[in-house]
Amino acid sequence: MENGYLSPSFRPFIQVMMKQSQSPFKSTFFKSLICLIFVYVLGHLTPFLPVTSNPIFANLSFQTLAHAEDEEEEEEDEGEGEEGGGEEEASAEEEAEDLSYLTDIGPAADHEFKEFSFLGMSNRKLTWAAAQLHILFASFILGCPMFVVIMEVMGARRTQGVRKAIILSNVFLAVLIGVVIGITGEIIVGIHHGVLYGLWACAFGALFVSFLNYFHKLMNIRASAFVGAVFGALLSMALTPVEHYEVSGIILALVNGAVGGLISNGIMFAQSDYKFERLAHEITKVIGICYSFTALSGGLFLFVMLVAYQDFITYLISSFPVLFMVAYPTLFILETIIMYIYVYSWDPLNKSNKKGRHIVTGVILNILGLSLLVALDGPATFMQTPPKPLDQLMNISEWDKIANMVWMPLNYHRLVGNGTFGGYMVCIIGAYMYLWSDKKEEREYYDWVGYIGNLIGVAIMIPLPAMGYIFVREIYQYDATIGMYIMSDRESMFMLVQGLLVGTMFSASNIYMWVSMKRIENAERFFPAMKFGFILIVISATIWFTPRRFFATMLPEPHMNPDMVLPDNLAFLALMISKNTAAFCLVTVTFINYIFYTIATKTGKVHYGKVNPLAPYVLIFLGFADIWLMSWMGTIRELSRMNWHVYKVFKDVTPEKFAPSLAESGFHVTTLVWTFFILMTAIIWIGIKYPKTKKKEVEPTQAEPQMAE
Amino acid sequence: MKIDVIIIGLVAALSGLYALHSSFGLAGAGAGLAVMITYALLLKIKPKKPAEKTFFQNIRFKLPIIIVIAGIVWVVAGKFNFPIWWQIEFVSFAFVGFCFFTLLDWKTLKLEKSNFDWVKRLLATYALASGIFIGVTAQLPQFDPMLELEKLNKPPVKLSGLAGPEVIAAGREVFENNKCFNCHKVFWEGNSDRGPNLGTKQIGLYPEDYIKEQIIEPRKKQSPGFDDPKSVKAMPTYYGEDLSEDELHALVSYLKTLRDPTHMPVEGKFGEQWTWWDDKDVVAEGQQVFEGVHPATEGLSCAVCHGKDGTPMMTGALDFRNENNTDTTKIEGDHTDKVLKDWPDALWYRRVTRGVPNTPMAPWGMIFEHLYLWKAEAYARTFHDPLEKRTAKRPVPPVPTKEEIESWKSKELFLDPLL
Repeated sequence: MENGYLSPSFRPFIQVMMKQSQSPFKSTFFKSLICLIFVYVLGHLTPFLPVTSNPIFANLSFQTLAHAEDEEEEEEDEGEGEEGGGEEEASAEEEAEDLSYLTDIGPAADHEFKEFSFLGMSNRKLTWAAAQLHILFASFILGCPMFVVIMEVMGARRTQGVRKAIILSNVFLAVLIGVVIGITGEIIVGIHHGVLYGLWACAFGALFVSFLNYFHKLMNIRASAFVGAVFGALLSMALTPVEHYEVSGIILALVNGAVGGLISNGIMFAQSDYKFERLAHEITKVIGICYSFTALSGGLFLFVMLVAYQDFITYLISSFPVLFMVAYPTLFILETIIMYIYVYSWDPLNKSNKKGRHIVTGVILNILGLSLLVALDGPATFMQTPPKPLDQLMNISEWDKIANMVWMPLNYHRLVGNGTFGGYMVCIIGAYMYLWSDKKEEREYYDWVGYIGNLIGVAIMIPLPAMGYIFVREIYQYDATIGMYIMSDRESMFMLVQGLLVGTMFSASNIYMWVSMKRIENAERFFPAMKFGFILIVISATIWFTPRRFFATMLPEPHMNPDMVLPDNLAFLALMISKNTAAFCLVTVTFINYIFYTIATKTGKVHYGKVNPLAPYVLIFLGFADIWLMSWMGTIRELSRMNWHVYKVFKDVTPEKFAPSLAESGFHVTTLVWTFFILMTAIIWIGIKYPKTKKKEVEPTQAEPQMAE
Repeated sequence: MKIDVIIIGLVAALSGLYALHSSFGLAGAGAGLAVMITYALLLKIKPKKPAEKTFFQNIRFKLPIIIVIAGIVWVVAGKFNFPIWWQIEFVSFAFVGFCFFTLLDWKTLKLEKSNFDWVKRLLATYALASGIFIGVTAQLPQFDPMLELEKLNKPPVKLSGLAGPEVIAAGREVFENNKCFNCHKVFWEGNSDRGPNLGTKQIGLYPEDYIKEQIIEPRKKQSPGFDDPKSVKAMPTYYGEDLSEDELHALVSYLKTLRDPTHMPVEGKFGEQWTWWDDKDVVAEGQQVFEGVHPATEGLSCAVCHGKDGTPMMTGALDFRNENNTDTTKIEGDHTDKVLKDWPDALWYRRVTRGVPNTPMAPWGMIFEHLYLWKAEAYARTFHDPLEKRTAKRPVPPVPTKEEIESWKSKELFLDPLL
């Protein structure tokens, strides 16, 4: 510009812009505003654009391209036909000409891919194993960074840069929380567009309050909640496309706005605690290794699919050309780069006092991770609910295939599920490290890590049933046959096991709280009430486990006992109303115990490091149950497509098209969870424990010269 | 305590009570309130330091108590007619509760002294979790995947060349494959009351077009008693697209067989059902049939002999006004001991559909749709038992058993040989 490339008339404008850019408030504000408007426009307009008005997506579709080429060829043929009316002989010769050499690939053309078995693992079981391991590692690297960033924020000194970064991280957290509260409101109260109310109100409430807090305005937490509620509600009402406002929607918006304000104020003015920084850093080391395993298992999954189900995987990938050729690799590469920057810039940025930048990197990493999750949920849900009418499937855009009926519900479900998963993985890390530590300080610290992990896991697990509910509700809307297959037919006993698992997890979580409270002074006052809660948990778990019938299909098949059915007058115990009440009771009791636990930690001294040695094993049990449940639910979801790869579109005609029995599935899932745990144990050792051991060995030799200095 | 905490707690408690009340009525709200009061009382208990107990001390009181509780649970569940498997389930959970409480009061574990200690405990933890999950999945009822495979390998329903019974069997298969049993019972079969029991409703009485419409456009007309918003949305609307023409035809053929020659059709949801005897719409339509003005039964007029107002117009014609009339000796084997008001449904049906030998009462079932004949009978009863004077509905008959249904065929109660 100084070399004369810029016209002098532009200089004042640039100067104004530069001046503006020096003002952090304005610059950040405008950039954020532009970004938010962009996100809003993208989120609201894209799904509703007709195929024809969406040339980017439409034209990049393989089918559409192929179709366009065919049309061009037809047009050319027609033109030639008109011109060459008298050249019939020549065209007959052309027709007779053998052009098969153009498509003949040689002797490999007749090669058939057959069913094979390896150590008792068949095509399906190998695919199942690869997919399951991939998704477990992916859940780790998507779930853990979410709260690693929050932990990092909680552990960072409130410098100017950190405070700026907190504005962004607050909005990120508020988006997640707003979505969760919004869906819960939509499900339980039936609020129309509850998700959007929740999302916008919480996000804008957090944004506005964070800005004010940044300038040391609105320091009072109640005032922050109030301002967040009003500002968030007003903006969410303006942005949510409803014909008329309903009181329930406005209340939801106010609540979400208040939550946004509360968390913003709470985080912005929280006293930094180094323990959080350490926790975040340690988990990040594990994330780095897990990232490699995610890529490895992903590659394995693809290779296995190419061998075991090559026709189908070819079809699936070619149905999403832009996604698999452009979007997914781009996101993957970007995430890899950001992830390595995040992991390896931790210490350098800390040393150069640029923590804020590191936090921003973490938020970007999370956004990329979530985008990746959302992107790949497209093909996964397309297999379950391909957009109808099915005979038009080849003519719709790629975006329409992604934005199918259960895409968003699965996104919500996996988002919350990954959060829970991450929480319990922290529990496992804490528990392992507790067992592997011999120093008192280390034990105190890892005892605390277990407490935090359980706190996160339980807190995120509480809304999880609502997410599952919205997912299955959409499945029923799409095709009730799938829903019935899950709830009443061949997967009914699978769902019974799910009920048992959920009961086990809630119970284990509460037992951990109980055991942990024994190391808190004056916590005894809650014990009688907590014991009563355990009675309610057992009753709720019993109701959840009560089936309508004890045979594994809708109608009894040979060798089943047809009398194993609840009489009609008792059938209500097996209906959703009873199950929902049981789930509500489980959640409420856990929440009450959680409140007792929190009050106890705030009013009594916590003797970290002196927890009953049972506690780490309870945490490991809890983590095992959670990962088993995740794997199980994935199994149920995959099997619910019955003998279809893509429901009613691409049939599975392999010998393993049937649903495996409950016992076989249970055993296979257990072996996969064992495999994952063995790998994770090694990863935790290599990522956290081994460097400590090494450091300890090296320390004395380094200490001497330092002392000499 | 802070005022905002009190307000939030109060709002949460009231919301919970409201939710329980809307789901389970006063009983639900009462139970919720009882739980809240119990919590409040327990929080008031003066705390005492939990004592460390040995294993024996721990279970010394708990074991007898749980055995008593399990016994009570078993007996109470039996009294409520829970089948034995559910009794076992409830008692098992009582013992799960015992394990819980034993664990809660378990004395503090000893610290691990060596690596071997934690490895041992760790493996035990994994073994416990794996054991529970593998054990439960192995012990719960299983299905045979090979049976599913057999079903999947069956060719799709093609009706060309198939005769009546084979078409009906194919229709039954379509019914099962499309999970219709998930919402509809067929007499004693199935175990969901989400939709009407197609057997006791006698869907087979209805014309084919109506049944087809109910399958393809279920929202067009709701079955009586199923017009609440939840039920309106319950029946999927995609069967028109999903079923091939052959499948639909076979399905309708099967549904046409769902009839009961021994009882009036039953309408409504389980627990709130009624028979056509008490259905004012059915009675009104039956009056049209009886009086010979119904377009679907042109040529039939019961009133010609039995009188429009019930006064018989022909000698020997049954007088429906006299509830104590005994006119049951005309057919051999009739219920001679029963007066008109106590006639079983089967007798009404048989007399109207097969006629009364040696009388002008013709076998109208050979000529007219039985759907309308049942309706005419519902109206005929009102002559001695007027609808507006009834204080109670007639009891809904028990669902016919498998044996009863088979006996209809052997006794040739139906006119149609395919039924």
